[in-house]
Amino acid sequence: MSTGQHIASAFDRDLEALQATVMKMGGLVEAAIQDAARSLESRDEDLAQRVRDNDRQIDTLEEQVNEEAARVVALRAPIASDMRLVLSVIKISANLERIGDYAKNLAKRTGVLLQLPTIEGAPQSIRRMAREVEVMLHDVLDAYIHRDAQMARQVRARDEDVDQMYTAIFREFLTFMMEDPRNITACMHLHFIAKNIERMGDHVTSIADQVIYTVEGAIPEDDRPKGDMTSVQHIEG
Amino acid sequence: MKDTKISARGVNVYYGANHAIKDVSVEIADKTVTSFIGPSGCGKSTFLRCLNRMNDTIDIARIEGDILIDEEDIYHPDVDPVQLRAKVGMVFQKPNPFPKSIYDNVAYGPKIHGLARNKGELDEIVEKSLKRAAIWEEVKDRLQAPGTGLSGGQQQRLCIARAVATSPEVLLMDEPCSALDPIATSQIEELIDELRGRFSVVIVTHSMQQAARVSQKTAFFHLGDLVEYGDTDDIFTNPQDPRTEKYITGRIG
Repeated sequence: MSTGQHIASAFDRDLEALQATVMKMGGLVEAAIQDAARSLESRDEDLAQRVRDNDRQIDTLEEQVNEEAARVVALRAPIASDMRLVLSVIKISANLERIGDYAKNLAKRTGVLLQLPTIEGAPQSIRRMAREVEVMLHDVLDAYIHRDAQMARQVRARDEDVDQMYTAIFREFLTFMMEDPRNITACMHLHFIAKNIERMGDHVTSIADQVIYTVEGAIPEDDRPKGDMTSVQHIEG
Repeated sequence: MKDTKISARGVNVYYGANHAIKDVSVEIADKTVTSFIGPSGCGKSTFLRCLNRMNDTIDIARIEGDILIDEEDIYHPDVDPVQLRAKVGMVFQKPNPFPKSIYDNVAYGPKIHGLARNKGELDEIVEKSLKRAAIWEEVKDRLQAPGTGLSGGQQQRLCIARAVATSPEVLLMDEPCSALDPIATSQIEELIDELRGRFSVVIVTHSMQQAARVSQKTAFFHLGDLVEYGDTDDIFTNPQDPRTEKYITGRIG
């Protein structure tokens, strides 16, 4: 990875602006995850509403990244590390936008869950899982800005923990539903929330891949560890 | 992997006291376009000129090492440079047609090398060469017109026709498009892509994008060293040497 400056300094400014926009998106998405999970735990409909409203900002930034990246490609014809950087901002911003959507969806379900019976311990479990994903996102964006492939690899490995948390929550909800069918509606919503957070973790992993690609020029080939066993698991009633 | 056409081993070139090429070893594949890139004065043109002994004409130039084409040493005392240059054609930066007719420009090489036994055969070679250079349709009705009257892009294609008329096996091109507009450049690039089905093509270019577009292999020269040589795809997506990276991305250093 070259760190020298371009002879055309405007090119450097373009690339820095692109990364700055991605980092700004990252900050908003981190906040969205945290606020959405908190709105669920503290049953705070106003906070949930703010998360839903703020998603528009994230979408707008993604459009901005795409437009700027297209302009850089057209005018600068980036190659080698410059090209990898431009490709990475496009992909990372798409991942961030998806994570933002999941956070928004979580906040939507908060509104519905307020009308339903509470499930003991569930908001706390969800909050812990969301917290883990948020920290991973924070770290992977740090790794991106510092061009730290090693750190990106560590984040990638941590997705297994999120998968395991999801599996545990999945089992927990099944038990609640089997105990009392009146829990089913709430548990279904909570399960979608947990599943969406698990998907956020996958997007963070994908960002980690982009960091490694930007630094090293190749996407890691090894299959990352999988801790989500729910698709192959049968739980007896 | 295509067969090796040109094999250079430990080549050093000196212009007087100036050490212009430093211990360069490289294998250039047949039926492949190889581009040489690097900043001005890096030795890429010097090295290109070694491949058909163009440096012989420079008194102070001294060449060490081996250059083999089809495993034959082209610097062996028995090798006639004129014969070698029929086998290794060259196209220059500025189109340089002879001040003769379009027909004679192309017919000249085959004539002096005795490649045609009669006028009919010569006509055939001229037509075939102009067709290979993708200029036949534009000039077939005015073959007796002077070559110098053509546009820049047409003149360059005429020079390519002249170079391919002797049925060379290797075609060397020293910045063949730098004096041409983008349309003529595209036509030459398209032509280069067609020619590689038949020849080993080596092109020196200052345009990164051109190297990326036309070549399958790229060699980066810097201060007389061959810094990096590999698949064009790899060089332009993930070069291994920081000097290559800096040069192709336009960085200071």
